[in-house]
Amino acid sequence: MNLTRRDFLKAFGLSAAALGLGAKFPAAPLALAPKRAPIVPHGGNAMLMDTTKCVGCKSCQLACKKKNGLPIDDQPVSLCATALCYVDMKNVSPDPSKPVIQPIKRQCMNCNDPACVSACTVGALQKLSTGPVVYDSNRCIGCRYCMYACPFGIPTFEWDKQFSLMKKCNQCADLQAAGQLPACAKACPTGAIQYGRRDDLLTIARQRINDPQGKYVKHIYGETEVGGTSMLYLAAVPFQALGLPALPDVSPAEASQMIMHSTPLVAATVATVLTGLYFVTRRLTAQPTTVPVHPHIGGH
Amino acid sequence: MIPQPLIDAVIVLALFILRIGLPLGLLMSIGYWLQRKLRPEDFESATTFDGKLTWRKRLGREINALPAWFPIVAMLMAIGAGAGVYRLAAGLGASTNLSQAYPWGLWIGFDLFMVAFSGGAFTLAAIVYVLNMRQFHAAIRPTVLTGLLGYASVLIILMMDLGRWDRFYHFIIYPNLNSALFEVSWCILLYTTVLVIEFMPVALERTRWERAKNLLRKLPVPLAIVGATLSSLHQSSLGTLFVIMSERVHPLWYTPIIPLLFFISSIAAGLAMVVAGGTLSYWVFKRSLSQELVGGLGKFIPWVLGVYAVIKLGELVYIGETGMIFSSGVYSALFLTEMIVGVLIPIVLFALRGCRASRAWSLVGAVTVLFGILLNRFDVAWFTLKPVPGYTYFPSLIEILIQIGVFAAIVFVYTLVGHYLPLFEGLAPVEQTPEPNVFRPEHAY
Ligand code: SF4
Ligand code: SF4
Ligand code: SF4
Repeated sequence: MNLTRRDFLKAFGLSAAALGLGAKFPAAPLALAPKRAPIVPHGGNAMLMDTTKCVGCKSCQLACKKKNGLPIDDQPVSLCATALCYVDMKNVSPDPSKPVIQPIKRQCMNCNDPACVSACTVGALQKLSTGPVVYDSNRCIGCRYCMYACPFGIPTFEWDKQFSLMKKCNQCADLQAAGQLPACAKACPTGAIQYGRRDDLLTIARQRINDPQGKYVKHIYGETEVGGTSMLYLAAVPFQALGLPALPDVSPAEASQMIMHSTPLVAATVATVLTGLYFVTRRLTAQPTTVPVHPHIGGH
Repeated sequence: MIPQPLIDAVIVLALFILRIGLPLGLLMSIGYWLQRKLRPEDFESATTFDGKLTWRKRLGREINALPAWFPIVAMLMAIGAGAGVYRLAAGLGASTNLSQAYPWGLWIGFDLFMVAFSGGAFTLAAIVYVLNMRQFHAAIRPTVLTGLLGYASVLIILMMDLGRWDRFYHFIIYPNLNSALFEVSWCILLYTTVLVIEFMPVALERTRWERAKNLLRKLPVPLAIVGATLSSLHQSSLGTLFVIMSERVHPLWYTPIIPLLFFISSIAAGLAMVVAGGTLSYWVFKRSLSQELVGGLGKFIPWVLGVYAVIKLGELVYIGETGMIFSSGVYSALFLTEMIVGVLIPIVLFALRGCRASRAWSLVGAVTVLFGILLNRFDVAWFTLKPVPGYTYFPSLIEILIQIGVFAAIVFVYTLVGHYLPLFEGLAPVEQTPEPNVFRPEHAY
């Protein structure tokens, strides 16, 4: 659906004069907008989770809570403001009487072309060239647009507070900058989470899925989804069964930004057309040149 | 076996009655009772008093001169304000039913349709000042006021919706030009300013500030052009909001050209508001445009809705999703209701000369347009979002009370302005022998 719709948008480009939809307009003031992911050549840093190696011990979830100063005594049932990393115990068996549990660690995918960054009203979200999508809690106004924009439904919200802010994982951007491992990758006892350069991880992942004896689904989730993500997954069962949505290869931000960038063109066109109409119709209706304002104004 | 969609519909209906109808009815009856208490006979007899009025009696008389619904509306507004204070003090989680899967709800739906309904202000200003159809001029003042109140209420509700409402000004100092919500906020702010300036003549008319009045006399045409430009930007970028939500909005509604659809339908909604306002102000305030002119505005509606329908359905044909129109269960029902009640019926009605000549039928036609667009905005923002297992959304009592309070505030201010300011000047009582008008101050005493 999305691809055809996007083609349609391009085909619709000729109506740019009507509302400027689809026209890529190089607007000068767009310097104010966050830059589009100037990723370093090797793809920045990333994490690879091999779900087949995960035993569901939830050490990563606990380490994440500790690292982010979140309460460790609750039992989250999904991603939430107190669990930015959540180990989801998925039943992947098609037969309800014989459940088969496959854990998967879920968190922000730190997309390469993040919809949340494009959507954020106040530019509180930013994609670093090294990989992480970071968040400035001093800017956020809590509008929750990012929650709807994110194709993975990742950003959470501090519903319980009087002044609520958005919360999400940023792949421990501070630890990464200090040359350390993200907390979850460090905590995992089985090596299910690997941290490194994105292109190295893709090479490792490709070796695993191409292994003839391998049990893997032949797809690296996150390699191309919504323009690629800094979180990669391998699995032995279909990714949708693990709760990872099937997504197109382009970010939802693309169509939206295409339209947003046409704004100056739309404004100029509408204003010009209206001004033209004013002079044409004034001539046609042969009205006096002064504008007859309300007769009662100042009529004392 | 009863089909599941039917059961769903019945449950939603029951919820609406229980959660919205009941509290509203209860509040209205208390208000009615209070109003009877507030307007005892001795306020009347106070007029024969020896000229010295206590403030209490004076206030009583002023209230007495206002229309009967005023105290009810004032009370609903006060309750809404109380609920608003509770929301700000308690936080979003405690006061709303919003959740991880439904971070936006009733309030955003309200913002969407209220902005569309307020489209009358830019449409009419463009018709009168840009297209030079000055015959519609007399309807400008009430329409601009409706628009102004609509946008002001949207600003209040938007503020209620922010997790950090104390930082509402951040969108001014931290711009993100890629964000549709950024553009919406800016345009609404600027356009509300335009509306305030457009409304100034009414506020200043009875003052002696001649310089300001002279300045305002030069402004209508540029203001109409700026206002229509800003409106075309934010009416459409309210649609752009949903372009990024390709994974959540149902394919029948999701399209990258949703901004265009929002913009065109806002023109239809705006025209319908002016037409409905024509009949309502005729009935309630005994003043209105002549039905000939109201019908003249109604003539535009089939054209605008026609363009809307062609683009909306044309896009589905182009994509090849026409089959979904009939095969998507509840979604089909919603889509067809929108298209039949909100588009087809008004096109037919306003194409008929008999309908345009009748105040009552024009009102019916206008209400169907407004209903269709209201449903469309709620469909996009709420009803057709892909369900997330384990989550449902229905607004909480606080959300509803704040919403009702905002509606009440609109009626409250409108009544006051109509009572004390020259809002209906130029709108002569038409097609009827003039009656004493409760809205003219000289009749208030
Ligand atoms: S997963 Fe969602 S929240 Fe995380 S970077 Fe991507 S769009 Fe943003
Ligand atoms: S909730 Fe905060 S981070 Fe998310 S879009 Fe709004 S301002 Fe940006
Ligand atoms: S720490 Fe490793 S093994 Fe344990 S739940 Fe997390 S990913 Fe799985």
